[in-house]
Amino acid sequence: MKLKTNLCNLLGIEYPILQGGMAWVSTAELAAAVSEAGGLGVIGAGHAPTEWLEEQIKKAKSITKKPFGVNVMLMSPFAEQNMELIIRERVPVVTTGAGNPGKFIPRLKEVGTRVIPVIPSVALAQRMAKAGVDAVIAEGGESGGHIGELSTMPLVPQVVDAVEIPVIAAGGFFDGRGLIAALALGAQGIQMGTRFMSATECTIHDNVKELLIKAKDRDTIVTGRTTGHPVRIIRNKLAKQFEERERQGAPVEELEQMGVGRLRMAMVEGEIQEGSVMAGQICSMIKRVEPANDIIKDIMTGAELVLNRLGRGEF
Amino acid sequence: MATFDKVKAIIVDQLGVEESEVAMEASFVDDLGADSLDIVELVMALEEEFGLEIPDEEAEKIRTVGDAVKFIQDRQ
Repeated sequence: MKLKTNLCNLLGIEYPILQGGMAWVSTAELAAAVSEAGGLGVIGAGHAPTEWLEEQIKKAKSITKKPFGVNVMLMSPFAEQNMELIIRERVPVVTTGAGNPGKFIPRLKEVGTRVIPVIPSVALAQRMAKAGVDAVIAEGGESGGHIGELSTMPLVPQVVDAVEIPVIAAGGFFDGRGLIAALALGAQGIQMGTRFMSATECTIHDNVKELLIKAKDRDTIVTGRTTGHPVRIIRNKLAKQFEERERQGAPVEELEQMGVGRLRMAMVEGEIQEGSVMAGQICSMIKRVEPANDIIKDIMTGAELVLNRLGRGEF
Repeated sequence: MATFDKVKAIIVDQLGVEESEVAMEASFVDDLGADSLDIVELVMALEEEFGLEIPDEEAEKIRTVGDAVKFIQDRQ
């Protein structure tokens, strides 16, 4: 059986797996490798300047002829310029985070770029669908980095019921079992960030990959609930300091200042105690570093096994 | 002030605040404790109640209860 959903046709990909566009993590190397493997690789623009993104898009195009995407963080000061670049370069897919991409949609659609916002609630999904986006990524709080309130399990079916466009489930996915669970909830695919951090092609520091391999099930926590910007990270020295100051009622400005520059410190410099190691709850399932192609093959092989077993009524 | 009363009822319902808190000058974020997702829900509820479209660019400018009331009155 071929697990091809409408989402695959919409995006021109072989398998219904998107790679999350993570800031400082999802570079052209990773995105291109995922796309080459038949999924949709996504470059994470984060807060990086537009020149950096331009270089990354060119690099991705030089490695793969297959479709790939860019994730635009809408709160970045370069969001507007990044969108201009994406339109100019005719990037096949744009995913967005931290806001509402409404005003960019008409021009992106004009050049044929598929627009897929990440959404944490039913109402935003409905509003985005009305604005004409091609699909939505319903992301639960199991994910790493900035998260919403709902978990994946309750969020996905409610979004599926509320909109008619394809829904991609994100937050807590790792293997074929997860993919089939997402399809059972009515999603047409999954987005995974954390697992792809362990891909050979992912350029993050080896210290982070080793930390992910060592991580146990309870090793991530959510900080920043009091600031209104909760973030899931691996509990390290920084996380403990942050928790402590948050408990003591430190002002929002101080807490936000504590996080500045920390993601880069972890992902690029490999400072895994003082840096912010954003990762999802499934990080403890990571056992090795392997090529993106092997990750995708593992998910698809596993998914078929699960589907066949369920089809035979073996629960 | 029929518009104000209707808007007030929606705000009370959507944000779970007391009627007395919903003054014209009250800011959704600073006074009524709404976050960006609450505002999306509120905007959609107002669209439905008054049968109008509030584009994103306009929705961004609605910061107080008064802004919402004025936006609706201008289009009625």
